[in-house]
Amino acid sequence: MKVKILRQKHPHAEPYWQCFDYDGDRNASVAAVLDNINYRDDITDSDGNPTERISWECSCLQGMCGGCAMVINKMPVLACDTFVKDLKGDTITIEPLHKFPVICDLVVDRGIIQENLKKIDAFIGKYHQGPEKDHELEYRIGRCLKCGLCLEACPNYVKGEDFFGPLFANDSYFVASRSDGDKATIKKNYNDHFAKGCSKSLACMRVCPVNIPTLASMAKMNRGIRDHYD
Amino acid sequence: MSKVLIIGSGISGLACAITCASKGMNVILVSPFPSERSQSVLAAGGINAVLTGEDGDSIEQHIEDTLKGGCFIAGEKAVTGLCSAAPDIVRWLESLGTVFSRDNEGNISRRSFGGQTYPRTNYAGAVTGKQIVTALVMEARRLEGMNLIERRYWNDLYGVLIRDKVCYGALLYSEAARTVEAVTADAVVIATGGQNALFGKTTGSTMCDGYAAGKLFSQGVELKNLEFIQYHPTTIETDQKKMLISEAARGEGGRLFYEEGGRRIYFMEDLYGTGGNLMPRDIVSRHIFETGRQVYLDVSFLGRNKIMDRIPEVYELCLKYRNIDISESPVPVVPSVHFFMGGIAVDLKHRTNIKNLYAIGECASMYHGANRLGGNSLLAAIYSGRVAAGDINGMETDPYDWNKEVSEANDLLEKKRRSESKFPVMYVRGMLSDTINSSMGIVRNKERLESGIKDVDYYLSISDKINFDRSELEYFTYSLEGILTLAKAALISAASRHESRGSHIRSDYPEKSEEFNASTIISYDDGKYTSRLVKEDEYEG
Repeated sequence: MKVKILRQKHPHAEPYWQCFDYDGDRNASVAAVLDNINYRDDITDSDGNPTERISWECSCLQGMCGGCAMVINKMPVLACDTFVKDLKGDTITIEPLHKFPVICDLVVDRGIIQENLKKIDAFIGKYHQGPEKDHELEYRIGRCLKCGLCLEACPNYVKGEDFFGPLFANDSYFVASRSDGDKATIKKNYNDHFAKGCSKSLACMRVCPVNIPTLASMAKMNRGIRDHYD
Repeated sequence: MSKVLIIGSGISGLACAITCASKGMNVILVSPFPSERSQSVLAAGGINAVLTGEDGDSIEQHIEDTLKGGCFIAGEKAVTGLCSAAPDIVRWLESLGTVFSRDNEGNISRRSFGGQTYPRTNYAGAVTGKQIVTALVMEARRLEGMNLIERRYWNDLYGVLIRDKVCYGALLYSEAARTVEAVTADAVVIATGGQNALFGKTTGSTMCDGYAAGKLFSQGVELKNLEFIQYHPTTIETDQKKMLISEAARGEGGRLFYEEGGRRIYFMEDLYGTGGNLMPRDIVSRHIFETGRQVYLDVSFLGRNKIMDRIPEVYELCLKYRNIDISESPVPVVPSVHFFMGGIAVDLKHRTNIKNLYAIGECASMYHGANRLGGNSLLAAIYSGRVAAGDINGMETDPYDWNKEVSEANDLLEKKRRSESKFPVMYVRGMLSDTINSSMGIVRNKERLESGIKDVDYYLSISDKINFDRSELEYFTYSLEGILTLAKAALISAASRHESRGSHIRSDYPEKSEEFNASTIISYDDGKYTSRLVKEDEYEG
């Protein structure tokens, strides 16, 4: 089968497509496919031209760190969590996440995620243990990989300048629920940087690799916001 | 106040940064990627602490279990400090908002772990490390907002700045600028994790490679107990790595067996009774190895509800990567490299033999002796970060100009870039892992260890002639020599311990020896590796 990859030599270079042959195991993950292509003795494209190894980011290789988030066959996914046998057709198309600046090939700079969370002081400060019924949702949000897939899928998220996206909605609820701190500010930030801009496509929930129910966070926060301003 | 440079932003680096910043110090926290990518997020089962002792458990028992698990070379003073601080550490994590699992009374849930007399492993499902990282990242963010912690991403350690046995900072390599720069500080803390690159496929992260330990060793920093490498008994294998089946699966009742003549042989229970499946990891791994057969882990009898309640992440992992539903079928498991008890030699305060240079977390060797108990690594990561932070008070005036060191490093990188060698760096790393897996497996002997040293000597002889591959992160190119140096030190340490103890098993020296009831310290001087045995009174300081 063919593996078609959107490559880019450095942040300011023009992106270009390059195609590779893959005849390995169909049970492999796409991360394993990338390794298979990269660690041949001589790396060549489908036309036999020598080329450079494909840059991509990984750490855990088992869906727990979010490093290898990319776009595979037009879907934002983790490469280590996506398997060849589940993909349709004889060509796998791989692109870097589009909503972040490309550094090299499939490696992107997701620093904006941390910057935005810092901007609005997303931290617990003084801890408050909420009711048992909230525990399950908090546990799920605590697993957020900060991989950026929800931002990639979100039709409202552009570059994170004003609208900070679904992961921010989840962290807002997490902090509001578990902190004794200044809830009014959290709610105002949530409103300014999420609630106003969300069109509720819920694409974020379909692509989240750890299945965070963002809609539940939104319901909790929206109810909280109404209570606060009413 | 002191300026502290911390290399590595996993749980240990975060704990140290938060403690330093909370005391008003200025911290620079360096890592190539955010903390969410660190190996800490893979820590599954839990964190040990005696919170109430209402079931008869006590801190003394935690200390005793830890020392016994480590085969009595873990250091009594160090372990006493660790276990005594454990309850406070778990309460601290709770106060930062860590989402622990809760029992029916609302207390933090705890489970049994291997080698422990009482259930004292406090957990968050099977993603305890991840939940702790989430909480620590938030707390660090608070201190970033106060300008007490400055994060530097896309930076790697190149080396440390040492003169006359005093550390004044570090050389950092920027992947963006592709150059080395000197960053001076009153103290440098190394928190770079384990040594996975020696073995290639392990349960850990690709980013914890052991380079820092190897590089610092060549700069005069002593290493300790490198021969003690933990094989976790239960992992599943994929093309790229070995994935951990958390000890929580056995803590909840999981049973190990092999098949013989259509019957299941529960070999650990046959050997040790009902608690056999939860013996310390070194013992379980050795027995799995000795069966010479495919061993299975069965949790299906727990029922789907309990599995989904207690170990849902284990269920998801087996289904996704092996297509096995553990609520219906047993899963085939193999032991795999999981944790490095050895590393940078430190004293009770986590000071190395170089003044103002500290090492914490898995890259440092302390608390675990010849074998680590499950649930003690998260504890030691946080404790060591706090201890080091508590000791830092230096305000050394840096009298030196480091331009020469910076120029030399950049010239060396430039020379590598001009290499026309056919050897790609990843090819040499592949050969290294073949060598180390063969020489430092679960059971070792003189012949294999010596053959491993010979192989690594060859790899070292070509390490400065490798091909510079522009499409790799440049870090991979320059880190090779440090990793190879560490590998040779580990092989020499293993060859010098003529006994079997904990995770170090020698077929040619099958018994434990009183003579070796000590730690191995190895040092480097101009190409010469020297190992010696040291009793705990000396290394604890």
